[in-house]
Amino acid sequence: MPEGVSLSALAALPWDAVLILLPLTGAVAAGLWPRSARPIGLLVSAGGIPILVGLGTAVAGTDGLHHAVGGWGAPLGIELRADALSLVFLATTALVGLGVALYADSYFEPTLARWFWPLWLFLLGALNALFLSADLFNLYVTLELMGLAAVALTALGGGRAALTGAMRYLLATLLGSLVYLLGVALLYHATGTLDFGLLGQRLEAGPASRTALGLMGAGLALKTALFPFHFWLPPAHASAPAPVSALLSALVVKASFYILVRLWLELFAPLAATAATGQVLGLLGMAAILWGSWQALRQPRVKLLVAYSTVAQIGYLFLAFPLLSAAGLPDAAAWRAVLWLVLAHALAKAAMFLAAGNLLRFGGHDRITDLDCVAQRLPLTVAAFALAGVSIAGLPPTGGFIGKWLLLEAALLQGRWDLVTVMLLGGLLAAGYVFKVVGHFFTPAATRHEAQRVPARMEWTALGLAVLALLLGLAPGILLPWFDSAVVMPMAGARQ
Amino acid sequence: MNLLQTGFDGLLALGLIWLAWRALACPDLFRGIVLFIAFGLLMALAWVRLEAPDVALAEAAIGAGLTGALLLAALARLNRTAAAQTLPREAWRSGPALLLVLAGAGLGLAVLSLIPEPAGLQAQVAAELGRSGVSNPVTAVLLNFRGYDTLLELLVLLLALLAAWSLDADPPRREAPAGAVLDMLLRLLLPVLVLAAAYLLWAGAHAPGGAFQAGAVLGAAGVLALLAGWRLQPHLTGTPLRLAVTIGPGGFLLVAWAFAAGRPAAAGISAGTRRRSDPADRDPGHPVHRRHPGSAVPGLAARRR
Repeated sequence: MPEGVSLSALAALPWDAVLILLPLTGAVAAGLWPRSARPIGLLVSAGGIPILVGLGTAVAGTDGLHHAVGGWGAPLGIELRADALSLVFLATTALVGLGVALYADSYFEPTLARWFWPLWLFLLGALNALFLSADLFNLYVTLELMGLAAVALTALGGGRAALTGAMRYLLATLLGSLVYLLGVALLYHATGTLDFGLLGQRLEAGPASRTALGLMGAGLALKTALFPFHFWLPPAHASAPAPVSALLSALVVKASFYILVRLWLELFAPLAATAATGQVLGLLGMAAILWGSWQALRQPRVKLLVAYSTVAQIGYLFLAFPLLSAAGLPDAAAWRAVLWLVLAHALAKAAMFLAAGNLLRFGGHDRITDLDCVAQRLPLTVAAFALAGVSIAGLPPTGGFIGKWLLLEAALLQGRWDLVTVMLLGGLLAAGYVFKVVGHFFTPAATRHEAQRVPARMEWTALGLAVLALLLGLAPGILLPWFDSAVVMPMAGARQ
Repeated sequence: MNLLQTGFDGLLALGLIWLAWRALACPDLFRGIVLFIAFGLLMALAWVRLEAPDVALAEAAIGAGLTGALLLAALARLNRTAAAQTLPREAWRSGPALLLVLAGAGLGLAVLSLIPEPAGLQAQVAAELGRSGVSNPVTAVLLNFRGYDTLLELLVLLLALLAAWSLDADPPRREAPAGAVLDMLLRLLLPVLVLAAAYLLWAGAHAPGGAFQAGAVLGAAGVLALLAGWRLQPHLTGTPLRLAVTIGPGGFLLVAWAFAAGRPAAAGISAGTRRRSDPADRDPGHPVHRRHPGSAVPGLAARRR
């Protein structure tokens, strides 16, 4: 923080700017002083929660805060925007980020921790900046920052598999960003602005907006790893260090999805001729559920299984696109369910990857059939994996159940039996692959092997995140109004 | 005259497509890189023809110069570690190529259907140029109006450097020293490059040029020195080097903190009543453009080892 800034000025700092600047400053400081990287990293990861509470209280009751960066304002400058929708993603990031940071502190040896902390803080800053941006080009810059940090984190484990996975991830994510940028250029040419609010007023149906939707949709789908663009995800997520896999699966793929949601709800949905695109995205989502779940069921290793499960769970997020209200606009109930799933999946999937990391540390491998009586020796990890798995499979009383129930209800109300069937099948397959692993927790393996000690904190953080996923299912009434406004407000803004 | 220009543009476009195709299809990696550099130079010419001299400068410095040098350096390493000099023929598959051609054709149709006169922000930029502190509109956009983007891009550079370091924690190997001729040439050339970079940075305030181009030239100088076998002294590679590469982004971040603290009231506008910020709100002595000498980071980054 700068010297000479008085205390009153500090108190008057806008929360949204702090949420972006604090991790980025921490990242630079951690890169500069590797010896202090650990306290800086932990402090900044924890600091996100009170700042977010501050921002949340400021946003509550308004229809969103706007912050003109540098005082210029749209269309000349960049605007930040914090509303209920951004808060959903920011809260997910802060919660999962803190849990994973605590885990990573025990996971990495000092030589790697030195690099993990600055890279993670860059990723955190990029995610926060992305969720707060209201500018199409600024979103591209945040995507670049996020993608590069994610690739560097993936490669952190070293070794052939990690480097190959990271390289493929880098090429896929760069291609996705560039295709997105092409769409941004088209929209800017047609409307003369990059600001979401102004674009909503000026954008008209036509070849330019149709092409832009196609390009941005394809680019972001590639970054979100929607089937059939998921090819890069399993190698990258399975070969990265466990805390990094958790961050990638829980947060990074959700960031590009967030941009897609914003574009869809605020810009493109009110235009005619997007209904067909919605149907296509829905079809790909269904294919992702079936293909990802089937592949997960066939995987011999825990981390690969969890990675393919991410491919499947991402499919659920795309099932809201084909659901339209009577007026031909997006179905608010379906979108509320999808946002709920984003939060529930982030918590449960992070817990699952952290638990998988514990198994890997414990036995030196993560082959499912060779898991050796871990239930007796790592009870907390087993509980975390099972709880998170129940939420992923969408069984009560977890967060995943509420999300899938709401989505199922929305699909049923519209008579979309195809979506309903796929959702139920996906749930069945998910239960299958989760219990396949859980079953092997209790059986002795054919060959016994030396077990390594797993630090208690690594077990507790995995369990903590899994319990949060469970608690989410116990108190839906408290949070649902927030998710309602997260969907309704962007749509209301779009109709103006 | 007009016919001449059209003919030139046509040749340029054909040359670009031909070079791009040859660079991709050529099985010999060295020739591919040379073709890529030639492509970058022609691309810079194309930007000049499109009356975008800033982009042309950046393309020539980054696209042709710096990227070309980096590719050549990577090829030199490939030659040392493995004999992977030529690509196998089947690297070209017809399926993806067909898909790309189709996508390109669709994109071309969409571009043809665009309105001819874009609704850009040129008028607004011109109107606010007086407040920006510079007279080159491109610099005004990059360092003032959209300075936040530039801050994040600067952090992308630092992040890329950290990522590269995290991959390769070994101490830098000392490679065979370059010949005496190259060494002498570099001693003459490097000061000129540094001077050229300083000029580009200074000129950016009122003419095409600026921090990105200057940084690219400095970076190219660093790559040249690296290729010639010059290395940093060991006592400079620790904290001094880290300080040198973080001082630019760090300073920029401090400006951002100060600016965020200075305008608490800017937040809190409801979406419905979107407001154009009132003039009293804006600070003509906007600190962002003045406190931005740190754009030399790519150069510093390249000068590690």
